Amino acid sequence: MDNNNFLVIENISKSFGDNKVLENINLNISKSEFFGLLGSSGSGKTTLLRILGGFEKPDTGRVILDGTDITKLEPFDRPLNYMFQSYALFPHLNVFNNLAFGIKENFTLKEIEINVRNIAELLSIEHLLNRRIKQLSGGEQQRVALGRCLIKKPKLLLLDEPLAALDKKLRSKTQLELTTLQKKLKITFVFVTHDQEEAMSLSDRMAIMKNGLILECSSPEEIYENPKSLYTANFIGIANIIEIYKKDENFYSDDLGINFKLNKKLKNTKTNILLRPEKIKIQSINNLKTSSFNSFSGEILEKSYLGSFTRYEIKIKNMIISVLDQNFNSSSNYNFPKGGKVICSWESESIKVLED
Amino acid sequence: MKNKLFEKYFVFSPYFWLVLFFFIPLAIIFKISISVSEWGMPPYQDIFLFDNGFKINTTFENYVYIFSDYYYIGSFVNSLILALISTFFCLLIGFPLAFYIATSNIRLRNILLVLVVIPFWSSFLLRVYAWKIILQNNGILNVILLNLGITSEPLQLLYNQYAVIMGIVYTYLPLMILPLYGYLNKFDLNLIEASKDLGLNRIKTFYKVILPLSVPGIVAGSLLVFIPVVGEFIIPEMLGGSDRLYYGKILWEEFFVNRNWPGASALAFSGIIILVLPIVIFQILYSRWSQKNEI
Repeated sequence: MDNNNFLVIENISKSFGDNKVLENINLNISKSEFFGLLGSSGSGKTTLLRILGGFEKPDTGRVILDGTDITKLEPFDRPLNYMFQSYALFPHLNVFNNLAFGIKENFTLKEIEINVRNIAELLSIEHLLNRRIKQLSGGEQQRVALGRCLIKKPKLLLLDEPLAALDKKLRSKTQLELTTLQKKLKITFVFVTHDQEEAMSLSDRMAIMKNGLILECSSPEEIYENPKSLYTANFIGIANIIEIYKKDENFYSDDLGINFKLNKKLKNTKTNILLRPEKIKIQSINNLKTSSFNSFSGEILEKSYLGSFTRYEIKIKNMIISVLDQNFNSSSNYNFPKGGKVICSWESESIKVLED
Repeated sequence: MKNKLFEKYFVFSPYFWLVLFFFIPLAIIFKISISVSEWGMPPYQDIFLFDNGFKINTTFENYVYIFSDYYYIGSFVNSLILALISTFFCLLIGFPLAFYIATSNIRLRNILLVLVVIPFWSSFLLRVYAWKIILQNNGILNVILLNLGITSEPLQLLYNQYAVIMGIVYTYLPLMILPLYGYLNKFDLNLIEASKDLGLNRIKTFYKVILPLSVPGIVAGSLLVFIPVVGEFIIPEMLGGSDRLYYGKILWEEFFVNRNWPGASALAFSGIIILVLPIVIFQILYSRWSQKNEI
């Protein structure tokens, strides 16, 4: 068995009644990979994770972990652990006994004590061991839930919305901790999220799911820069989607009333293109004249100052284009005023064609 | 101002209820239990006599009488055993049912809950009488058993302690299921999955997670069944035989057959004290325990 096929998901389908939740899912996940399943609610991502955990049985297909077919195994026979979105900590047990819950069977008292201490130290929760679950904050509960799984030294850890229950500030801190921990322990993590930022920052690779299908599976960079479908382009980040069609040598957009120059040949005469807002250069109208292609002049409709960036909504003809402009200068009057006219331009390489 | 006053007294309404319908009747029973019995109507003497100056006319003879005769104590013990066994079987049948109802989907759950409650819509007496018809020598059950060739002659299913237990379990089962359902309904099913995920099989998950977290429901349901069964009169009377005497029956006989009101009152009062005192102590200890464990 090679490392690239540590977890193999093969032709998994699942229906609840007439409702097809997963259709023919295929995924290969490498050893020690931090893998994200991203999708909106109803995309089937949680069902897929629950199938991996053994809580749901797939209608068809197989799950192979480290060379062993685990499709028919009960959750308690699988060498993996599942961290619940609600954490599902046992309210009748204190932190120590929650952590020790999964190892009480096979270890002596002394071994349990050592293991619990070690895992508590790893997650910096040594001071909480005698607490009741209700006495813990959300962040502390998340650590206990994580520790309760990690103490079993699983081959695979499944995480259902691991950060959803935390407040925003704690979330970014925990994100970093989670990645560091994963790289340190080298355990394969598969997690589910509806939050694209979370998926981007945690995942080595991620799969975009919609209506029980995997639309795309790649690294966050690849998915952001070169999305294959319109859905992915819109789902990840801010996207300007423009419909263009072939006109003479170049391409033309009716909505913008301008010409586009593309680097590559197109299959169709009509297609959608993606232009990410940070790829667009914004300049004062005094500096330049508009070029005949890949550029337009428009009016600033809205602007919002975001600290490191300013986001502009620029109106041209029938369309509103989003532009993110990095705030290089420290002077506050650097920004373009609302209602002002500006010139926007971009490189041909920045135009991504959405063929699907 | 008016609302405030209303609220103030409204808070006391449960106590008012308790005093009116529990403590006052209890006091009356206690009063009769320490009176001297006589032939007449009512069949006891007043405890305060005024004819030759003021005199308190009380006796503890009635208590001595019932506690010195095993006939009375024995019937009470029989009732306690009956209540224990019935509660156990109610729990044994009720727990899986309540768990199944609580974990099924909302439509099925509502149907099942209605099915649990439906027997309450018909008369209690009729339901017990129906069992008499089912269990009697030429009843449905015996006819089926005979036709299937399982027995060659009708079985004596009625008029013994087993029929009584069966009747009680049947009648009191909803009282066990409903409070249990109330607790299990709030049960986070993820906890069961988490336990399995951490390597515990179904049986271990039951003992380590489901059972400890269901204790409040089990206690509530068990008390609701146990207490009334101790004083149950109708079911042993209709389905039971002469093999065992129960407390409720003795009480009835003492009041209405022997017309020994003071003796019967002494028996009733002792029964209440013996039953209520341990339960009150248990409740205090239990509420402390559950507060400590935050269940």
